[in-house]
Amino acid sequence: MVEEFEPRIIAFLCKWCSSAGSDLAGVSRMEYPPNVTPIQVMCSGSVSPLYVFSAFHRGADGVLVSGCHPGDCHYIKGNYYARRKLALTKELLEHVGLEPERFQISWVSAAEGQKYTRIIKDFVNELKPLGPQAKLRRKPSW
Amino acid sequence: MVNIEDLKAEAKRILKGGNVKYIIGYERPSNAWKANPVFARTPEDVDRLVWDPSCIHNLVRFVVDEKRRKAKEKPVDSRPIGVVVKGCDSRGIVVLIQEKFIERMDVFLIGVSCESTGVVDERKLAKKTVGTTVLKVKFGERMNYVVTTEDGILDIPAADIIADRCLECIASFPVVSDHLLGEKSKRDVPKPFQSVEKMESLPTKGKWDFWEDQLRKCVRCYACRSVCPMCYCDECVVDTINFAVTPETTAEEKAQRIKWLEKSPADSENIFYHLVRAIHLAGRCIDCGECERACPVNIPLRMLNKKMEKEAKELFGYDVGFDAEKPALMSCYLDGDPGDFIR
Repeated sequence: MVEEFEPRIIAFLCKWCSSAGSDLAGVSRMEYPPNVTPIQVMCSGSVSPLYVFSAFHRGADGVLVSGCHPGDCHYIKGNYYARRKLALTKELLEHVGLEPERFQISWVSAAEGQKYTRIIKDFVNELKPLGPQAKLRRKPSW
Repeated sequence: MVNIEDLKAEAKRILKGGNVKYIIGYERPSNAWKANPVFARTPEDVDRLVWDPSCIHNLVRFVVDEKRRKAKEKPVDSRPIGVVVKGCDSRGIVVLIQEKFIERMDVFLIGVSCESTGVVDERKLAKKTVGTTVLKVKFGERMNYVVTTEDGILDIPAADIIADRCLECIASFPVVSDHLLGEKSKRDVPKPFQSVEKMESLPTKGKWDFWEDQLRKCVRCYACRSVCPMCYCDECVVDTINFAVTPETTAEEKAQRIKWLEKSPADSENIFYHLVRAIHLAGRCIDCGECERACPVNIPLRMLNKKMEKEAKELFGYDVGFDAEKPALMSCYLDGDPGDFIR
């Protein structure tokens, strides 16, 4: 039997909302795919595009950046900066030919455990038909 | 039209008065049609200055170097430096002021208008003048260039040999200057992003195949970084060597150091480097085309930077390098920024 491809997702979750949201999903025993490796960051605004490129470079099949809803940021405006920065990052990744589905951004509040599970489920379902991400993955050719 | 004598007179005036340290401009070397950058330190040097379509270089890079030099200078000579700037170069100065890298009074800008055209693309000109040697290129009266070759004078329409970036230039005159030469003449650019739009129409796979082919060539000489007036970071993510390793540095410390990418010019490392460069230049690149000109393997680097410029314009209505008072693209936001890509 051929084993089904299981995508590996790196999720940058902001400490104040999305991380708490994923926690809520956990403690509420909601079921969602185990493909995510969460990385807690202090704010979605602190996610440098470099982190995203690096995650793909180290072999992530998909990258999710998640923060508070606009207006709810713990640092007042971090997620607004994130929105600009990540919009450009997304456009750039698409421009060089990475599938647009591989990089996602979402707003998940601390109360939205349900939404978090839904986003992960959708993400995994979208990534499965794409197969492993080999474009930006490190290939030591020397 | 820019009268070169006016340029020289102004340059002489400020050098004689001791208002500036030196003036960076263009000169014609004795053996080629292409202009070279020149540092005019005395009023006599000024006679070497030229202005014609072969003045391709962006001299703003020297302003960045000057700041570095000034930091080590003793005693500090805080006079400004004079720079001859084209339209694109002046926008580079605006971005540097906007980012507070330099102050407005650090530079004395002698603005020169590109006469509604631009500068010459070396390769395009070479194709037009096969079998002869170009001696001189001059601006013509009506959007043309007068090319003097060994076999006579050619009159070539500007659109045929103009650099790619100038075809998409929306302001072919300096936006800031202390002394402006020539007219602020605007040319109609119906499609300022046509090269990028062509690229965008490709499917995902087509885009990737294109970039993989192009970036495979990269030898990581970092010429694009060295020549770029906006690449002025003291430490670059690609140079892990910048972090000092002393005898006290333990093996564990070394292992803990973040190494974002390898130095080897492998495909995956190349694309990583160029992605980082493109995102760093988003909203800062003024499209002077120096990276592409300096690239020894002809990677169309402008296509990456132009894409970022396009998105800055389309998503956030941000024009790069026109207003030094405005905050930089990434250091501001609007409530109405598009967010429809967010789940």
